[in-house]
Amino acid sequence: MATGPAIATGSPRSRSWRWTAITGVSLLALVTIHMVAHHFVVDEIGGLRTYQHVLDYISTPIIFVIEGGFLVVVTIHAMLGLRSVLFDFGLSERRRRLVERALVVLGVATVAYGFALIGILASRA
Amino acid sequence: MSERSPRQGRDAGVDEILEGRREPGPVARKLPGPVAWFDIRGRSTGHLAFSLNRITGLGLVFYLYLHLLVLSTLLRGEGSWNGFLEIATTPLFLGFDVLLVFGLLVHGLNGTRLALVGSGFVPNRQKALFWSFMIFGAIVLVYTAIHVFGSEG
Ligand code: HEM
Ligand code: HEM
Ligand code: HEM
Repeated sequence: MATGPAIATGSPRSRSWRWTAITGVSLLALVTIHMVAHHFVVDEIGGLRTYQHVLDYISTPIIFVIEGGFLVVVTIHAMLGLRSVLFDFGLSERRRRLVERALVVLGVATVAYGFALIGILASRA
Repeated sequence: MSERSPRQGRDAGVDEILEGRREPGPVARKLPGPVAWFDIRGRSTGHLAFSLNRITGLGLVFYLYLHLLVLSTLLRGEGSWNGFLEIATTPLFLGFDVLLVFGLLVHGLNGTRLALVGSGFVPNRQKALFWSFMIFGAIVLVYTAIHVFGSEG
């Protein structure tokens, strides 16, 4: 691995960079599934999902698991991304820790809200 | 960053480049030694790629929360959701759809390039990869735009 790549964000091959890359590449698959499922499967209405479609869709166990996984992965990726953007402002060690804690709180809140949302929707179907 | 102590017999100027790479900050740096020539305009391409990646990444985070907000109308039942659908299917909002896909493609493909090169899976030929990925993305985007607006009427 002597040929270092010109990686821009954070310090290359740091733990946070590795997880940004891993979650990012997983997102490629998850986002594609999400978009294709929502836009191409239900053809007769131009791919658009009605209220009932959404309930039926999300109450399917395997779909619920995939969408839930998507929620978790995209949130982790987004928080790591924000972290690297914020860290580039040259924050002090203390501010960095503050940013990290705030992002953990925001991420947990986002995932909790997202699961509450799809949980309620699934229970209505 | 891994330690890369200057080895013996390096090309002139390489140590300087390597030193530059240690500096923190949002700059894609020159390739070392034998492939440095390849990177003549690499700095500007790298810059472009970095800026695009950052802007689209932040845009996608914004979209994620917008999306969760929009999806919350589902909780208020079929009526409010249908109200949203009416807005979402206007040409303006279909245009936003295309913009979102543009962001996803730029960010997703560029991110894939960074992940592949950064983890050492593919050779360090950033610029060629960048442009081939972006050309691929442009084709997908055109297809998407045709699909979105084509099925509108
Ligand atoms: C579609 C698949 C995606 C892939 C393959 C991907 C990949 C990546 C990679 C590898 C990076 C690190 C870039 C670097 O080292 O400079 C990154 C950064 C980032 N990603 Fe993604 N990502 C994807 C989707 C998303 C989504 C959906 C969001 C938002 C919800 C997002 C938000 C961000 C942000 C904010 C950054 C930080 C940008 C920066 O530091 O300049 N990404 N992404
Ligand atoms: C093509 C446009 C999109 C449409 C029409 C769409 C539609 C939907 C719908 C109807 C849901 C709720 C039901 C379900 O989970 O299936 C949902 C959930 C979700 N979408 Fe999208 N989506 C789109 C694009 C995106 C993008 C680009 C992202 C990533 C940034 C995203 C992230 C999510 C997440 C994380 C959830 C789960 C929400 C939760 O767990 O509460 N979506 N989407
Ligand atoms: C490949 C084709 C398409 C892509 C990539 C796409 C992409 C998107 C995106 C990014 C959104 C989120 C925008 C927002 O929430 O404000 C979205 C939502 C939406 N799109 Fe599309 N779109 C496509 C085709 C269509 C078509 C053909 C229709 C209907 C004629 C449509 C109707 C909608 C509606 C109603 C929403 C809101 C639903 C939601 O956000 O969950 N889309 N689409």
